[in-house]
Amino acid sequence: MSKYLLLLAGSLLFPLGLSFYPPLKFWRNFKALLATLSIITLIFGSWDVFAAWRGHWYFDSRGICGLKIINLPVEEWLFFMVIPFCCIFTWEALKFIKAKLK
Amino acid sequence: MKEYTCLSIIFAILTLLADKWSRVNVFKRKEFYLFIVIILGFKFLVNGYLTQSGIVVYNPEYFLGIRLGSIPLEDFIFGFSLVSLSVIFWEKFKEKREC
Repeated sequence: MSKYLLLLAGSLLFPLGLSFYPPLKFWRNFKALLATLSIITLIFGSWDVFAAWRGHWYFDSRGICGLKIINLPVEEWLFFMVIPFCCIFTWEALKFIKAKLK
Repeated sequence: MKEYTCLSIIFAILTLLADKWSRVNVFKRKEFYLFIVIILGFKFLVNGYLTQSGIVVYNPEYFLGIRLGSIPLEDFIFGFSLVSLSVIFWEKFKEKREC
């Protein structure tokens, strides 16, 4: 596994595991989650494709598995699903805890 | 030209507008700022690793060259838009389903 893939897996571990905690009812909004991750991937993926094409940044071949979609490593596309997922989970967890403390 | 700097600022402004236009108004909610602080902590871990280990390498021609640790300043603005828009879309799509 590439370093970048390991980083994504590490980021996802706790948020994904904890998202199944029943009282959170996180997966009840699966369609909203899917729609959010899709639109975020579209917007920020486009930015990233442009930036990589212009040469704003590049990806070192030692850190990635080598599989590419358009001009971006597959890991970078996964980033736009994993990180927003972690954010949305954190946001829901925060609201859940806040409601509990009331 | 500092294209990354310009793009990141444009996206941040669009994010603020999206919050207003969508009427989600996360920026008016107190818990959103706590959320941002928590995410910022994780950002230092993830983005810090990506930049420190050299998985992502930046062209000095396109950004200001200011870094917090190993992370370019522009990445924080990029991250702000990514994280905020994720919550804004999520809240908007959820609200639609609940109607």
